[in-house]
Amino acid sequence: MNINNVDLTNCDREPIHIPGKIQSHGFMLVVNSESFLITYISENLSGFLSSPVKSLLGLPVAEFEKLDEFGSSNLQLAALLKLGGAQQSFETINPYPLQINGKHYYLIISLSGAEYILEFEPISIEYDIQNQIGKSVSAILSGKNVNALLQNTAREVRDIIHYDRVMIYKFLEDGHGEVVAEVKNDDLESFYGLHYPASDIPKQARELYKLNFTRIIADVNSLSSPILTLNEEKPLDLTNSVLRAVSPIHIQYLKNMGVESSFSISLLSHGELWGLVACHNYSPKFIDYKAREAAKLIGKIVSSALEYREEEEESSQQNNYQEALHALTLALNKDGDMLSTLTAQEYTLNDIISSTGVAVLFEGQISTKGIVPGEDQLWALFKWLKKTMDDTIYYTHSLPEVYHAAREYKAVGSGIVASIISRDMEEMIVWFKPEQITTINWAGDPNKPAVKGEDGLLNLSPRHSFETFAEMVENTSVKWRKAEIANVIKIREKIITAINKKAGEIRLLNERLKKAYEELDTFSYTISHDLRTPLTSIKSYTELVIATNKSLDEQGKKMLGRVVAGADKMAFLINEILKLARVGRAEVDFEPIDMGHLIEEISREVISSLNAAHVNVKLGELPTIMGAQPLITQVFTNLIGNAVKYSAASVNPEVMIEGKIAGDEVIYKVSDNGIGIEVDHHDKVYELFKRMDNVKEYEGTGVGLAIVKRIVEKHKARIWFESELKVGTVFYIAFKK
Amino acid sequence: MVVSPDIFYVEDDPDFAFIMQYAVKEVKEDLTVGIVEDGNTAIAHLQRFAEEKHRPKLILLDLNLPGLSGLDVLKRIKEIPFFKYVPVILFSTSDDPKDVKSSLEIGANAFMTKPNGYNNLIVCMQSLYDFWFNQNRSIN
Repeated sequence: MNINNVDLTNCDREPIHIPGKIQSHGFMLVVNSESFLITYISENLSGFLSSPVKSLLGLPVAEFEKLDEFGSSNLQLAALLKLGGAQQSFETINPYPLQINGKHYYLIISLSGAEYILEFEPISIEYDIQNQIGKSVSAILSGKNVNALLQNTAREVRDIIHYDRVMIYKFLEDGHGEVVAEVKNDDLESFYGLHYPASDIPKQARELYKLNFTRIIADVNSLSSPILTLNEEKPLDLTNSVLRAVSPIHIQYLKNMGVESSFSISLLSHGELWGLVACHNYSPKFIDYKAREAAKLIGKIVSSALEYREEEEESSQQNNYQEALHALTLALNKDGDMLSTLTAQEYTLNDIISSTGVAVLFEGQISTKGIVPGEDQLWALFKWLKKTMDDTIYYTHSLPEVYHAAREYKAVGSGIVASIISRDMEEMIVWFKPEQITTINWAGDPNKPAVKGEDGLLNLSPRHSFETFAEMVENTSVKWRKAEIANVIKIREKIITAINKKAGEIRLLNERLKKAYEELDTFSYTISHDLRTPLTSIKSYTELVIATNKSLDEQGKKMLGRVVAGADKMAFLINEILKLARVGRAEVDFEPIDMGHLIEEISREVISSLNAAHVNVKLGELPTIMGAQPLITQVFTNLIGNAVKYSAASVNPEVMIEGKIAGDEVIYKVSDNGIGIEVDHHDKVYELFKRMDNVKEYEGTGVGLAIVKRIVEKHKARIWFESELKVGTVFYIAFKK
Repeated sequence: MVVSPDIFYVEDDPDFAFIMQYAVKEVKEDLTVGIVEDGNTAIAHLQRFAEEKHRPKLILLDLNLPGLSGLDVLKRIKEIPFFKYVPVILFSTSDDPKDVKSSLEIGANAFMTKPNGYNNLIVCMQSLYDFWFNQNRSIN
C-alpha cells in the first residue's frame, strides 16, 4: 500500500494496525522522512490535543502544527526535521521546548528507519539541573575505590532526581545480578547484597540497555497507549523511542515489588553492560528529558571511572601477586627446605593468587598455609587429582560438583587450582577458595520454571512476591582469573627449575660418593694385601731368630714370642678387612645354593675350629636359596661361628639353624642360648670393629657382622635379630626367592 | 754345566727367599733349593735345564712377580714337554679365589697361600715334601 495514496476518505475503512504502544504520560507522532506525511499517531494524542486522531493520519506534518493548541507559536516542524535529517542526528535539537494549551512540553525527535518519531513529554523540573551535576560528579569521583565510587553514585543520583530507592546492580559472570550499592528511604527494606537471577533482566533487555542509556517507567498502573497507523505492513521500531511501553511482564514484576515507577541508568565497561543504576519510586514519578540527560551524563562518567578504577584495583592486586612471585622465586634459588620455602616464609604460595589456603604435597609430606581441608581430606583429594588430571594444571570453581567428597569442605574449597609438580614423585600443589556464598539472598527463585501463559506461549512467570528466600547456590566459588592461572603456571616452572637444580647437585654428590666408596674398597684391599708381606717378614725373621739363635736366653725368647703374637693378631685383622673389602668389590652371581650341604659343612668346621664339640648344633629344614656361594658361606660361617662361640659356656649349649619359605622370601634363622646382646647395642652390632662389653673375653675383631651385613645387602636381602642377655640370640636373614 | 736343584723357586721378595732356604734345610738337610728373582730369569734357567736334561723335582712360583707374572711363567713351563710331569705349585700371599681358579685352569698342580711365619713355613714345606717327594714319587 502506497502511503502517499492514503486519504481521509479511505482511512476509516482501512484496518488500523497497532504496531506497538507507548507510555501515556506523553504522546507520539510519526512522520515519513521523504513525504513528510504523518504515518503513525499514538491514540492518547487526543487527550493532549482536541483534534480527532484518525483525521491526522496521512496528512502532511504542516497540517499538524496549525492546530489551535499550539497557539501562535511558529513550530516549523518540517524545517526542524530537515535540519536533523541532514545532520543524521537530533542530538543538538533535543529537547525542543514548546507549549500546548499554554503548558510546557519537550519535543524529542528520533529516527526509526525512514520515519521520524516525534515524542511530546511534559517538562517537570523548574531549576537548573546542570549546576547540580557538576557538584555531584566531583562528589562521586572522590571515592577512592570501586565500592566508594558506587555508593557515592547512588547517593548523588538520588539527590538529583529524588527517587525512594536508588540501587546499583552489578552483573556477575553468569549473568545474575547483585545489589552492590543502595541509598533509600529509611522506611524501606534494604535490598543491599541481594542477588537477582539472570532471567530477571533478559538478554534482549540488556541489549536495549546498551543502546538507550536511560529508561523511564513513569507509572506502572497507567494504561499504555496504542499507536495507530494506516500501514499495517510495517511495524514501527521503537528502539529509540523515549516513551516506548514496558513489557507487561516487567510491569507485573515491578507491581509485585510495590514499585509504581522506575528509572534506570546503564553502566558500561569495555563496551559491555557492567550494571545498572536502578531507581525505584513507590508512587508514580516522572522526570523530564533534561533530568534524564543529566542522569545519563552521570552514568557515562561513572562508567569510565569504573573502567579505570577496576583496572587500577586489578593491577594493584596483580602487582601484589607479582611481588610475592618474585620473592618466592628468589627464595627457591637459595638452598633450603622446599616445603618451608613455599609455605612458611614471609611470602607463600597463598600470596600469588586469590586463594584463601594452599596445600603442598612434597616428598611424601603435606605442608599447608591458610584455610585448607583436613589432612585425610587432602590425601583423598591428592589421590583423586592424580588419577583425574591429564594436564599439569587443573582448575575449577565448582569442585564439589565434579568431586563429591569435596562437599564436606565446600565452605573451604569449592574452588581449586591444582598443579602437578612431579607425577612420578606424586608431588603437587593445590590452592583453595571458599564457596562464594553459602546462602545467597536470591530476589526470586531462579529455578522457577517458565510457565505457559494464557495465550499458550511460554511466559516467564511473574514473581508475585518479592520476599527474599534463600536459595542455596551450592558448591561454587568465585571464578579464577586468567592472570591467576598464569601465576600458577609461572611458579610451577620456577619450582621445577629449583628441583632440577637440586637434583643435579645430589646426583653429582652421589657420583662422587660412589667413587669415593669404590676407592676406599680398592684402598682397603690393596693396603691389606701389601701389609701382609712385611708382616710375614717380621714374623718369619722373629721365629727364625728364636729357632736358630742359640745365644738367646729364655727372657729374650719370651719377648720375641710377644712380637710373633702381635704379628699374628695384626695378620688376623688384616685378613678380616681384606674379606670385607672383597665383598664390596665382588659381583654377586646368583645361583641356587644347596643349603643343607653347605650348612652341615660350615657347622662341622666351626665346631672343630672352636673346639666346641659339646655345643648341640641342630639343623631344621634348609631350603635352597639364590646367592653367591662363597659369600653366603661367609655369612653362615660368621653367624654359626658367633652362635657356637657365645653359647659354648652356657649350660646345655644349643644352636639351631633352619629356613622357612614365607611369601616371596626364604627366611633363615640362626638361634642360640648364649650370652645375648644388650638392647642398647642393637644398632651397633653391625658396625665395623664394634665389640660388645660382654664379649671381651671372647676372641674376635668386630668385623664379622659388618661383613655379614654387607653380603646381605649385596644380595638385596634383609637381616635382623632378637636377643636377650643371658638367654640367647636369634639372627634372621630374609633372602629373595 | 748346572746342577738342577730339588726345588726351583721363583720369588722376588728376598726376605721370603731367605727364610725359605732355612725352612727347606729344616725339612731335610740335603734338600736343595734354587731361587731366581723374576720370570725371565726363571724361563732362561728352565730352558737350560731342559737342554741339559736336568729336571727339578718341584717348581714353586710366586704369583706377583715384576715383569712376567707367575701365571705367565706357568704357561711357558707347560709349553716345554720336558717339564710335563714336574709339579708346579703357585705360591702367593693372595688367597683370592679368582687367582686360585685361573692358576688351576692354566695347569698348576696346586695353589698355596704363603704361610704366615717361619714355623708355619716349615710345616708347609714339610707337607709339600711329604706329598710330592715321597707319596707321589711315581709322578716324578
